[in-house]
Amino acid sequence: MNRRVVVTGMGCVTPIGSSPTELATGLYAGRIGVRRLTLFDASRFPVQIAAEVQDWNLNTMAGQNGRWDHCPRQTQFAIGAGLQAAQNAGLDESVDGERFGVYLGCGEPFGDFTAFTQSVSDSMVQGECEPALFMQNSLRIFDPDSEREFEPDMPAIHLAELLGAFGPVANCIAACVSSTQAIGESARMIQQGDVDLMLCGGAHSTIHPFGMTGFQRLSALSCLNSNPQAAVRPFDADRDGFVMGEGAGMFILEELQHALARGAEILGELTGYGSSQDAYRVTDTHPDGRGTTAAINRALHSAKLNPENIHYINAHGTGTLLNDKVETLAIKQAFGKQSYRIPVSSTKSMLGHATTACGAIELAVCLLSLQSGVIPPTMNHDTPDPDCDLDYVPHTPREVSARHILTNNIGFGGQNAALIVSQYDDRSTGKVQLGWAA
Amino acid sequence: MDSLHQLRKRIVITGVGVISSAGLTQQEFWKNLTESDAPESTTRNPGEDGVRLGTSSFTANIDEFGELPDAKRKSIRKALKLMNRETQMGVAAGQLALLDTGAESDCSALEYYSPERFAVCFGADNVSIMPDDFSRGIQACSDAAGQFDIERWGEDGIGEVAPLWILKCLPNMPACHLAILNDLRGPSNTITQRDVSANMAVAEACRTIRSGDADAVLVGATGTMLTTFNLMHARLENEVAAAQESEMVCRPFDQRRSGSTPGEGAGAIVLEELPSALARGATIYGEVLGASSGSAIGPNRITACRTAMFRALSQTLRQSGRNAKEIGHLHAHGLGSRDSDIAEAQAIREIFGASTAKLPVVAAKSLLANSAAGAGMLELIASLLALKHNRLFPIRNYGVPDPDCPVNAVVRNDESAGSSFVNLNLFQHGLASCVAVGQYQGGKMKRVA
Repeated sequence: MNRRVVVTGMGCVTPIGSSPTELATGLYAGRIGVRRLTLFDASRFPVQIAAEVQDWNLNTMAGQNGRWDHCPRQTQFAIGAGLQAAQNAGLDESVDGERFGVYLGCGEPFGDFTAFTQSVSDSMVQGECEPALFMQNSLRIFDPDSEREFEPDMPAIHLAELLGAFGPVANCIAACVSSTQAIGESARMIQQGDVDLMLCGGAHSTIHPFGMTGFQRLSALSCLNSNPQAAVRPFDADRDGFVMGEGAGMFILEELQHALARGAEILGELTGYGSSQDAYRVTDTHPDGRGTTAAINRALHSAKLNPENIHYINAHGTGTLLNDKVETLAIKQAFGKQSYRIPVSSTKSMLGHATTACGAIELAVCLLSLQSGVIPPTMNHDTPDPDCDLDYVPHTPREVSARHILTNNIGFGGQNAALIVSQYDDRSTGKVQLGWAA
Repeated sequence: MDSLHQLRKRIVITGVGVISSAGLTQQEFWKNLTESDAPESTTRNPGEDGVRLGTSSFTANIDEFGELPDAKRKSIRKALKLMNRETQMGVAAGQLALLDTGAESDCSALEYYSPERFAVCFGADNVSIMPDDFSRGIQACSDAAGQFDIERWGEDGIGEVAPLWILKCLPNMPACHLAILNDLRGPSNTITQRDVSANMAVAEACRTIRSGDADAVLVGATGTMLTTFNLMHARLENEVAAAQESEMVCRPFDQRRSGSTPGEGAGAIVLEELPSALARGATIYGEVLGASSGSAIGPNRITACRTAMFRALSQTLRQSGRNAKEIGHLHAHGLGSRDSDIAEAQAIREIFGASTAKLPVVAAKSLLANSAAGAGMLELIASLLALKHNRLFPIRNYGVPDPDCPVNAVVRNDESAGSSFVNLNLFQHGLASCVAVGQYQGGKMKRVA
């Protein structure tokens, strides 16, 4: 039995737009969301820029004023995008909750930096943090209501409750491929008959002192404080790292017959998914790009597509020296000569790097491209790098009537994942149906 | 969808590894589960004396990772520097499980399968931030009187944090280290759904094999509630047993129960598709008959948990093709908290009906304490070993039945385990997950040690 999986709802909250419509507008205008960081005082940090979600408030769309105040930003983004996706899909009470699950790839919220550092500081005895004192102090200093929310699975739990999903509810963390894998695994659950309907995607925000500390110590971030708009330079010879981003992307995936039976509008079909491990180092991708190549090949294989069938690749394209070089190599290995004919762009040049959520947001970008016939550009791609010699769609969007689009992600620890979305093709009539329009 | 399940590939369990407070080897773990003179499941109040009986004796010594070639021992030693305790325990359990696949056959799973066809799927918790990782930075931002100035963090604190600190805090690190150490290049994922993660990882691993993306999957789960940060969270979130006393006792389904006991541990198993497992001469612990999960998130915790468990149990039994009467025993979540145990007992009665009175129920948390994500896998392994030895282990500290928890609690160590079991786990927000396992009848079974 071949159970096809289609996308019937989409929602997003990003630094350049807090709905699919706004995101499309921003992408095709080449709007860059990177600015001076405002979420905390970073004026004495080595890196002072980020791509923040601005002028957005969950309470205005989700109601229940005050309920979400204790939630970290990623949970708020997840709920906002999740409700958009459910609304876009036209879900109502007729959905069988027991056949409806939630699977997200939301990252580590880390917690309250001020409370943590104060708890440690108050517990120092002769240069070391005394555990029993830390316990006493942390119970006194931390806000219990907020701490309960600082868990990566809380967005999935809230959304399951809000949407009446009684099937599997899960969160996965696989570094920067988390939401990609949550979407791929959701599709697999539908394909194998465990459920008929899934809300899936991811949300994350690491724009806080813990996140900025961690990624600065890894030397992964761009230090171009003087010109935030030019900081993320995927595949450019002068790239020096990524910029922290944040946001959420959410989707309703549905078994095709289930979607057709309820008259749902189909935005696209999820046709391919591949996951792999470099099995090399936790810090670096394999220099031959073997894991990324394998994930792409698995996605192509599961979609029963050949390299020439892919019309656009949304790359991971972080803008670090190693990622962009290795990803280019992997694309060339997976697509052969065809790789020079396929446009490849990195929307992180506009959105920043939303870490575990990036795959979901980039899938939204791909669906928008399927529907609009326009692919987004790679901004700040000014100076060619001999190691990065593909068509990166510099500066301006391009009209491409794409039928199949691949999105690729790479994560710390050697994680790789790729998805393929296709125009929904009613194979019985050969008619290509257009769904959501930007 | 039942017809789909009947067409599914058959998947068997061919290796196990444990790191727990009841032992660091399969043999020691089983001995402590079943023998009456095993240490009682008590956890000393943190800060009392630093000694906690819920704590594993695991020290991350290289010998605790099994008998390995020198090159792999060297790689593990080097990698240990990048691991926190949860990751170290998870990696050790994973190595032991991989080693176990070759214990009674000529060719281990690692030797048999190509790296690209070997996947990893783990369950893990949000990894706790260790205060010590930040203490130097905080000192650097403090004045002579020890007053910390957070405004100085960007200039003076960040540089004092270890360069790779954040990689210690990623929950996917156990799976990633195991892939790197053993050249496992198949799909890799880590489920962070707290207490229900382990069973969900088994379900996902089965889907991976059934999709054709892998022939074998190393499935594990690891967790600790004993770091200071996690203990603080446990205090905020859970009913922690008799927290005002110096010793905390886990008493699942007992009328005197007063809450869960924080613990730590990791477990891992290897799943293979049946034909290839038989082809390599693997010995088989059991066959996965079903694996699913359900939810019922709502304000009334007892109702939510009961309904979630009912959904997970009924779906798993449906997948397994067995009716409730055919299940040999049930490994309960058995948290030892008032509401959770009542909800669980109600769900068991709803599913098993009149046969509830005869269904043996075990709950290893009474001995092992609660290691959050890790607990589900340790409990699954405990029941696998019960199948292997064909006898059950008692619920510790159980003496006064609670009329609100009318389950057939196992109190002896000589009851039959039956030929199948269901492993049930719960997360108190209203999420439940289940795995059903049956004895594999068609070939070589693991010998009783």
